[in-house]
Formats: sequence, structure tokens, C-alpha cells
Amino acid sequence: MKKGIVFLAVLLFAGSSWAQELTVEQVVSKANNCSYYQGKDGSAKANMVVTDSQGRSRQRQLTILKLNVQEGSDQKYFVYFHKPNDVKGMSYIVWKHVGKDDDRWLYLPAMDLVRRIAASDKRSSFAGTTFLYEDISGRSIDLDAHELSGSDAVYYTVKNTPKDAASVEFSYYTVKIDKSNFVPMQAEYFDKSGKLYRTIEALEVKDIQGYLTVTKMKAVDLNANSNTVTEFSDIKYDVGLKDDLFTERFLRTPPQQWLKE
Amino acid sequence: MIMDKIVAFALRKPKLIFLITGLAVLLSLVAFIRVKVDTDPENMLPAKEFVRVFDHEVKKEFTIYDYIVLGVVNEKDADGVFTPATLGKIYKITDEVKKVDGVIAYELMSLANKDDMEQAGQGAISFRWLMGNPPYTAADAMRIKARALENPLFYDTLISRDGKALCIYVPIKEKKLSYRVAKSIQKIVKGYPGVEQYYLTGLPLAEDAFGVEMFWQMGISAPLAVLVIFLLMWWFFKHVALVVMPIVMSMIVVIITMGLMVGLGFPIHIMSSMIPIFLLPISVLDSIHILNEFFEKYRKFKDKNKTITYVLNDLYRPNLFTSLTIVAGFFSLSFAPIPPVQVFGIAVAFGVALAWILTVLLIPAYIALLDEKKMGDFGVHEDDLDTGPLSRALAWWGKFTVRRWKQVLVATVAVVALSIYGIMNIQINDNPIKWFNKNHSIRVADKVLNAHFGGTYSAYLVLEAKDKAAQVFQEPAMLRYIEQMQQYLQKKGKVGKSTSLADITKKVYYELLGGDKKNNVIPPTPQAVAQSLISFENSHKPDDLWHFVSPDYSKVNVWLQLTSGDNREMAIVVKQVDEFIKTNPAPFSITHNWAGLTYINMVWQDKMVGGMLVNFLGSFLIVLFMMIVLFKSPVAGIVSMIPLTVTILFIYSMLGFTGKEYDMPVAVLSALTLGLAVDFAIHFIERARMLYAENKNWPETAAGMFGSPARALIKNALVISIGFLPLFASPLVPYNTVGFFMFMIMLVASISTLMILPALITGFPWLVFDDSKVKAVCSCGKCVLMSIIIASTVAYILLGYDLAKLNLTTIICVAIVVVLSGACALISKQKICVKK
Repeated sequence: MKKGIVFLAVLLFAGSSWAQELTVEQVVSKANNCSYYQGKDGSAKANMVVTDSQGRSRQRQLTILKLNVQEGSDQKYFVYFHKPNDVKGMSYIVWKHVGKDDDRWLYLPAMDLVRRIAASDKRSSFAGTTFLYEDISGRSIDLDAHELSGSDAVYYTVKNTPKDAASVEFSYYTVKIDKSNFVPMQAEYFDKSGKLYRTIEALEVKDIQGYLTVTKMKAVDLNANSNTVTEFSDIKYDVGLKDDLFTERFLRTPPQQWLKE
Repeated sequence: MIMDKIVAFALRKPKLIFLITGLAVLLSLVAFIRVKVDTDPENMLPAKEFVRVFDHEVKKEFTIYDYIVLGVVNEKDADGVFTPATLGKIYKITDEVKKVDGVIAYELMSLANKDDMEQAGQGAISFRWLMGNPPYTAADAMRIKARALENPLFYDTLISRDGKALCIYVPIKEKKLSYRVAKSIQKIVKGYPGVEQYYLTGLPLAEDAFGVEMFWQMGISAPLAVLVIFLLMWWFFKHVALVVMPIVMSMIVVIITMGLMVGLGFPIHIMSSMIPIFLLPISVLDSIHILNEFFEKYRKFKDKNKTITYVLNDLYRPNLFTSLTIVAGFFSLSFAPIPPVQVFGIAVAFGVALAWILTVLLIPAYIALLDEKKMGDFGVHEDDLDTGPLSRALAWWGKFTVRRWKQVLVATVAVVALSIYGIMNIQINDNPIKWFNKNHSIRVADKVLNAHFGGTYSAYLVLEAKDKAAQVFQEPAMLRYIEQMQQYLQKKGKVGKSTSLADITKKVYYELLGGDKKNNVIPPTPQAVAQSLISFENSHKPDDLWHFVSPDYSKVNVWLQLTSGDNREMAIVVKQVDEFIKTNPAPFSITHNWAGLTYINMVWQDKMVGGMLVNFLGSFLIVLFMMIVLFKSPVAGIVSMIPLTVTILFIYSMLGFTGKEYDMPVAVLSALTLGLAVDFAIHFIERARMLYAENKNWPETAAGMFGSPARALIKNALVISIGFLPLFASPLVPYNTVGFFMFMIMLVASISTLMILPALITGFPWLVFDDSKVKAVCSCGKCVLMSIIIASTVAYILLGYDLAKLNLTTIICVAIVVVLSGACALISKQKICVKK
């Protein structure tokens, strides 16, 4: 698993090749397993550029470390900010759980402060970008009802409707999954009045160490008329991350060997 | 005489004249298909005016929109609006309002779409929607209240501190959509009846609603005024056919003038919508003089054509000159630095000129077409002229002013002194909300909501760092400076609420550190500020940050809410900020500037008031100059200005005494006052001179003057003042103001003309009547006086059109004065002068 794919997991759903024979649940499940849980761990640098409606842009540069705790289930993330300079050293740890709320911690070096982020909804902005937390750590597939709404030569289109409509701001979202490799290429979110208001798109997919990885992606907020482009570099799989790296101790003393710029 | 030829032509070819007029009217009506309406007072300023350009930049840079304020008040429940029922309604209303066309849903501010950050137990924080879903229990509702009261971004803005009221700020794409959006919102809230009261207000709504209601009013008031004028004239002259003509003529004048203006592509603006109201009385004015004379002389000639020829000849000079002076008065508005005022001035000037042309062509043409037989017993017998109650009263009045001329003059001086005192108390102020009367829903909403909240009027104070790269507004010292400034303004009392980056930073820092009140401060280091703010960006609405700071931290926007939209209040706040910055130098080098509708209104109204004052003085000079030319005497010219000067001083002193504020409509009305008031003086002096030329005897002339000329004058005054009384019934205050002014101008100008002029002439007949054969230029004093007036007028016109800078103009004027004065010394030595 690489960060790229991790991000993709937001959109998720890959499936395996001969999908005609598969039910939509199988497509989604396979896609989830395939794209989320490849490799044991991974690291990557992410460069995020937020461009607002006036064309002004701001940058965030971070390192993301990821560890699969259990195939197809729990994962741990370590997110470390390099830029902007004033927030350098700011980091997050996420313990992603399937079937219950994630655990999240935030570290602010200027105040030497660790704060647990209480379980509330995860559809808030990731550090002021157009991506949401849920785009980063992934939305559990069992939160939505899935339906194959379209299929052409290239893509499956899966329509995902939340089981608890009140917990999210969208009424449904659709994901286009590449039939050839089951990489989700585009997600479109529709608001409660049925209007498209948000898209996420894979702009570049590369084979890294044998894993298909999205290396460039773009989220667009059609309401705010702003977007964020994330580019991944230095992507490495199976680097041997240890479980104790993802603890509060390392928030305060970041694991420098993984964070070299 | 030229008048004979014109009248003869009109009498000969009446149908041709009607045909041409008819065509012109038709064309003008066709031109109305191009009609464009512009009710945005911002257009009082040229589009390139700094404050407008800056305001646009600020709005774009900080993604700010003009907004309508929807207030919801629940006084019935102890918990105010924080009951599950009311919050449920607000939740749904917010949802529906977002869907209204023209509303920027994404930027709408309501409890129902705000994010809240709070500490959630030991060492934890949470980001969640303040009201993600409507609350089910009273406890849930109270929790929302408690959270909102904790957040400086919410209390006094979104909710009132007593919890009885909350506001939804509805941003709109364009100001001109306000009225329509407000109507849609009204429809929406009607679907949620109950104990809640709903209120809609906000400057853009007031401005747009005024525009809409103004046209509606125009459709009622103008025809009503016409009707009343018609009835009065009918009563005076007892002949429908004759009375109809001046009325129709004044409508033709309005149609052609407006048609031409619209046809040339000028939008109908708040200013130009007043054109009919101004043109109606002015164009009726001359006709009444003519009708009165026709009415009184018809029996003598027993021939309509002969009578009208006589009448028009008799009134040719006063009518021409009153028209010219009014034209000059309004045309001088084109000097004003305010585009709509320029258009207005030129259009009215054109209309008045047209009215004069129609008076001398259309009226005789119409009379030519009248059936002589149907004239019946029109007119009065000469013997009956002096028997009516009006005539008897006027005769007594005439005798009184002549006998008691000294007392009249002393009283005049006293009135002037008192008026000047009153004028010194005038409050210059304006506020578009106050263009509606007190019972208007917008005005009521304004009052209620500003009592509950920090204010529905917005101004934006933008601070900009000189060093753009230094991220100055992440510096704790700078944020503390802003915090102090806000506290200072709050303490001074005019700003009801202010919100800035400092508030956001403090709020986040405080929540991050666990909600201990002692941590409700600006963080100690720039890094701590940056990390607090990036934590804020983890919310559902990170973009809210960029309403208050630019992403490079080189500019901040401090949002000030005022409970009053009065210019005066805004001006005080501007001053307070200047004072604060002066006495407390900022820790970094910054500049400051203002944006927002409340501020823009202050700027254009300042310009308007100042501009109109300069204009008025200029018009005064031009009219004075024309009087001198008309009466061929600088002294008579100045005398003719006395009654109108007294009138103006008196009327404006009423503003000072009654506390009515000097606002835009009042400023514009000064031009009308000048034009209408001088009319009476011209007629009086001109007719007096004609009579005097016949009998060479003042007491006899005075008696004559209080006959037909005085009757015409009084009839005029009655027709116009009563004709515009319906304006008092309008719910729009500027219309009341126009009605009041029309009433006062006519009342005071007629009285002052009929009091002061006869009294002056009784005491000093030489002022007006010049028995000597010697020409005016023979007297050096008169000549110098004339030179000075000419020089001032020239200077004013040159300055008005920016044809000269002050230096050049000064030189030209001084030169004119010197040359003319020198010339006068020479001229005075002419043989004809020396003879005397």
C-alpha cells in the first residue's frame, strides 16, 4: 500500500478483472481490498497545492507513513508537515478502525500540545485543503449502499448512497472504476438537492514496485470554486515501519529517519 | 416684436404644431422600450471612484458579498429562539433560502451552517457543525445556545446575547436582486408560522426596495398631483377645455424629456425618477400666469386670438426670463461631480426650455383651435376683478406693506437672523433605511434587529502591511494591536460588534488549550498563531478564515457592525479609528482603508452635500447675473434675489429647528427652490416696472400690482403647494420631503415676494425704478458691482467644468474685474453721463 492508493481509497473500489460476473458488492469489496491493503506498509511525500477562486495558491508539504495492522481492516497513519514553515513539525496520527470510530491525535509543536481529535464526523477539511479527512483515511465501504449505475467499455460506475443520510453532507456519490485495473479514476459528489458540488479525480497512475499507485490527484470544490492538486513522490512500499512509530511519543519526537526531505 | 410673429404663426398653423408635438410624443414613447432602471445609490459615484474600486477589490479578495438580513425573534418562549420548534424552523428556512435564485448559498451565514470547535473532554477537541441537524430536545437546543454564546464569531452577529433572536445573513450575487430575493424569503417564512416574528432588512434591500417602491410611488403621486392641480385650476378658471391644455402640456414635457433621456441610453436612476415631480410644477407655472391673464383680459377683447396675442406679449419677458433662470439653475447641476445629478440637471433644464417653447407655441395653437362660441361667458368682467375675497385681501395686503414698509423690513431682517441661527443647527446626515417611513416593514425590522444585535450595517476596515512578504498578520503583536483597536471601538459605543482574525485566533487557541478562560488570548509566537489557524482550517468551513485575512497574511479585514446606517455614525467610527491609529502606532508599518456599503454611502453623500452646496452658490450667481441682464441694473438684480434668499434661508432653517436631517433629497431640492422662488420676483418686478412706466406713481403701481399680478402669483402658489400635498401620504420619506418643500417654497416665496419687494420699493424706489435717462454704466459703483458678479460667474463656470485650475481662474477673474472697473471709469466720463 502506498499513500497514493491510500488517497484513492477515498474513492476506492477497485474490483478484479472479470467484473461482469461479479455483483456490485463484490466489485466494491475487491476494489477496497485490492487498492487499500497492498503491501505491508509504505511512505511517500505529498505536495498539496490549494488554489482558490481568485487563483491564489498555498502549499502544504507533508510526509505520510502508513501501516496495515490487519489485512482488509485496521490501518495506522502518521502525517508530518514540512511546509508551511510556521507549521513545520505539526503531525497527526490516525488509527483507522473498521466498524467503529477512528482514533486521531494532533500535535502542535509551537505549543508542544497533543490533542486527541474527538470522534465526530470526518468530513471536515484536511488542513484547509479541498480534501477531507475521510479522503485521506478512507470511507468504510459498509457505510454506504452500493449500486452499479453504469458500465461502459472503460469504466464501471458505482453509485454509493449513505446508509445514515444525516451524518454526511452529500446525498450520494458516484465512482468511476477503471475496468482494466480497478483503479478508481473519478468520484463525483452530489448535494442534498442533487446538484454536483465536488469531484475528485486521479490525474496520473504509475506502477511502483509492482503496485498501481495514483501519483497525482485533484479535488475540486464547485461551490467555493477552489481546488487542491496533490502530487506524491518518493513513494516506497514495504519499508518496514514498526507499530510503535504510530504513538504519541513519536508525535513529540518525530521519527527523523522517515521524514528526510 | 418677435413674440407677435411666433404667436401669429401658432394661430395660423395650429394643426402643424399639434402634428409635430404629437410626433415628438410618439417618438418619445417609442424610446421607452429602451428603458433601463438603476436603483443603486452606489452609482452616485463614478465607477472609477477610489472607494468603489477599493470596495470591489476588498469584496473579491475577502469573498464578501452584500447581504440581506433575515431576523427571527421569539419573545414568547422563555428560551427565546433556542427551542427545538424554532430551531427546527430555522434549519428548514436556511435550507430553503439557500435554494433561492440569486443567493450565494455557500456563503450564507446561519447557525445551521456554521462549524464549531470545542474541547471534548480531557485533552481532546472536536470539530462539528453547530447545528448539523435540528435539535430534538430542549437540552439539545440549550447546548446550541451555550456553544453559540461561547463563540465571538457568533454572538451579537448570528444570535443575540439574550437568546431571543437570531439572524441569517443572506449574501446575494448582486444588489439589484435584493428586492426579489427578499420577496422569495418572505414567501418561505410564511410557510413557518408560529410564535416567531420574521424581519427582513439590510442596506442592499433598502436601496433596492426603495428603487422598486419609488416607481410605484411615481405612478401614484405624479398623476395624483396632476389631478389636484387640474381641479384647482378648474376651480380658479372655470373652463375645462382651457385648463386641460396646460396640464396636457406639462405631461408632454415630461414624456418628451424622459423619452429623450431614456432614448439616449441613460438609465432611470433614483435621481432621474424625480424629473416628473420637478417638471410638473415648473411647466404649469408659466401657464398659470398666462391663463390668469387670459381669464382676466378675455372679456376686454372678446376675441380669443387677440387676447392670447396680447397676453403672451405682455408676459413675454417675465416668462422667458423665469424659464431661463430655472434652466440656468438646473443646468448648473451638471457641474456636480455626481453623474446621476448631472443627467438630472441637464434633463430638467431641457424640460423647462421645452416647456417654454410649448407655452408660446402650443397654447396659442390650442386656443386657435378652440370654438369661440364655446368660450361662452369665460373670463371675468373687469368690474368684478376687484370684488372677490382674494382680491380684497390682496388689496388690503398691498396697502399694509406700503404703509408699514419699515416694520416689514425690520421683520424681514429678524426672520433672516433667526433663519441663520436655525441653519447653523442643521444636521447633515443620510441613511437609505430612513428613506422609508417609520411604519415600513424594512424600517421596523431595522429597529428591532439593531436593538437585539451588534448591528445590521457593515463596514470593512482593511489593514495592509507595507512589507507584503513578512506575514505581518501572523505576528502576535499585530494581532494584539487589532484586538486593542476593536476593544477601543467597542468601548466608544458606535461599533456594536467587530470580528477579526484576532478573534478567530484567540478562539482556536483557547479551545486547543482546553477551554481555560485565561487562555483566551493571542498565542505568544507567530508559529503558535499559524498552528492555531491551520487547526481552524481543519473545520468544515476552512474558507471562513479568508474573509478575515489574505492567504499571504499581508492584509486583514476587520468586520465592523454598526447599529445605525447614518452617515454621521459611520463618520464618527472612521474618526475613532484614525484617532486610535494616531495615538497607538501599529507595531508594524501598515496602511488602512475602508470598504462596505455603509462607508460608500457616507462618501457619496458627503460629496453630494458638499457638491450641492457649491452648486447652489454657483446657480445663485448665475441667476443673479441673469437678473442683472434682465433688469439692466445690478441693483434691481440684487433686489430681485432678496425674496428668494429669505425663502431659502427660512426653509432650510426649518430643518435646523425641526431636527430634520439634511439628506440627499434635501440637497437636490435647493436647486428647485432657487428656480421656483425667483419666478415670483421676476414677475413682480417686471410687471411693476411696466405699470410704473405707465403711471409714474408708486402707490398707484402698488395698488395695481396687488391686482392681477398678485392674483396670478397667489393662484400659482396655491396650485403648486396644494397640488403636491398628496406626496405627504407616501410611505417614502423623500417624497414627503419634496411635498414639504413644494409647499414651503410656494408659501414662503409668495409671501416674501409680496411683502419684501413692495416694502423695499416704497422705501427706496430708485432700487427698481430708474427714472434718470442715465445708463447703469454711468455709475461707477454699479459698474464695479456688475464686474464682480460677472467675474465670479465666469470663475464658477470655469471651475465647474474643470476648464481652469484655481490659479488660472483667479487670474482671469481678477483681470476681468480690473479691466471692467477701469473701463467703467472711462465710460462714466461719457458726455451722456456727465450731463446728469
